[in-house]
Amino acid sequence: MYALAINELVKRYPTGTEALKGVSLEIEEGEFYGLLGPNGAGKSTLIHCTTGLAQPTSGSIEIFGHDAVHHYGDARLAVGLAPQEPNLDWFLTIEESLDFHGGYFGMPRKDRKERATELLDAFSLTDKRHEKTRFLSGGMKRRLILARALMHRPKLLILDEPTAGVDVELRLELWHYVQRINQEGTTILLTTHYLEEAEQLCTKIAFINGGEIVATGTSADLAREYNVTSLEDAYLALVGRGELSRAHVPVADA
Amino acid sequence: MTGAQIRFLTLLRRETTRFFKIKRQTLGAPLLETFLYISVFGAALGSRIDQLHGVDYVVFIIPGLIMMAWATNAFSNNSSSLLQQKFQRSIDDQLSSPASPLELLLALSLGGFLRGGIVAVLTFVAARILIDVPIEHIEVLLPGLFLVGFFFAQLGVLVGLRAEQFDDVSFYQTFILQPLIFLGGVFYSATLLPEPFETLTQFNPVYYMIGLVRYGFIGYSETNIALSLVFLVVACTALFALNLRLFGRGYRLRA
Repeated sequence: MYALAINELVKRYPTGTEALKGVSLEIEEGEFYGLLGPNGAGKSTLIHCTTGLAQPTSGSIEIFGHDAVHHYGDARLAVGLAPQEPNLDWFLTIEESLDFHGGYFGMPRKDRKERATELLDAFSLTDKRHEKTRFLSGGMKRRLILARALMHRPKLLILDEPTAGVDVELRLELWHYVQRINQEGTTILLTTHYLEEAEQLCTKIAFINGGEIVATGTSADLAREYNVTSLEDAYLALVGRGELSRAHVPVADA
Repeated sequence: MTGAQIRFLTLLRRETTRFFKIKRQTLGAPLLETFLYISVFGAALGSRIDQLHGVDYVVFIIPGLIMMAWATNAFSNNSSSLLQQKFQRSIDDQLSSPASPLELLLALSLGGFLRGGIVAVLTFVAARILIDVPIEHIEVLLPGLFLVGFFFAQLGVLVGLRAEQFDDVSFYQTFILQPLIFLGGVFYSATLLPEPFETLTQFNPVYYMIGLVRYGFIGYSETNIALSLVFLVVACTALFALNLRLFGRGYRLRA
């Protein structure tokens, strides 16, 4: 059984824009899967369709064998989403954000309390547990969003550009954490613009462009497919900007 | 407790937590406003007005004030809460949960319904301490108030769904809701109005709502009670069905 199986997914907005043009994608259970593509390629739309934030025009989405579009109850229980933009509830504190999220996913009070304590500790948020989310720094919001996505112990974790705009130490801290939970069995779907992040973390990568999956494989497979030597060069070839390759950038004198 | 029950209670708790966290604005301000209406229209102006349909003027206006408190608070709570959550995108946390459109709609509706109910009950208690407010027909008063609260809670959800900016919500509140309530006879009896205003008032749905609540409290009404109740049940059902359909489609919630 696949953790995520998307078949011929089409998403057409009322404006007529076709953001996804028959995307098919399969992610094995336990995989750390990267989805790369330029802005507007359809990454976020694909994630939104998977998590119920957008309604597909046609096609099917299954999460661990459960229909994620029409009978979505079990499918959504299995997914945790850390969105690109912080979407925290301003009226809640850090601890309440975790508690309410757990409640939305039907977790009993005792379990919510224990899980929240565990995550607050894991993400170094314990000291600030009573602070309202609107007053948190960008880094703290990122930590909380990831903790919230993990609150209900999802089997599939979707990270939509989780390290955009965060400092180096937090980025590395998040890498360590997501790698650990992946090793513990959580399947991860990651979108990122940091190619070294995808290279470091992902066991398999898909390139998406213009609403279509154009290539899939390991980092090395993709480099081979585009007849270049690195994932970054493969990506530049995908977006038609091969001239920007680091191979053409002179190294600064020390 | 089942997962679905926990989910629904959490969705509802989110709504009540929001308005309790800003209680000066959501509970204190409406109470003060009602107290000022009672003081100005009841004590100050009312002392110059004789009895109206057999009761003191201040007693005559209390039912309308209580209904107005429930209606406006249910409406503004739900429209603001929904718009704020859409604006912050914090509603995505609920939309990506297993919650059904019915659970989401009911929890949101009940949030405003409860806030309106709390303000209305506190208004009644305060009025009861200051003035001898009778309750003549509790069998009409309770369903009447509940239906009015539910109707405006649904209306708040509908406006919150449609709204794209805060100006949209205040437009409905200032230019539609408030005039309908004020011209529905909160502060006067429509029978005292000259034509064509008396006839025009009968086209205002809020007039029938005030009639129900006033009958429940003081036993006087200018409207047909049974018809008004039927009208309210039909209006509540229609509005709820519309909202449920919009939630099901993800109207202005999901892309």
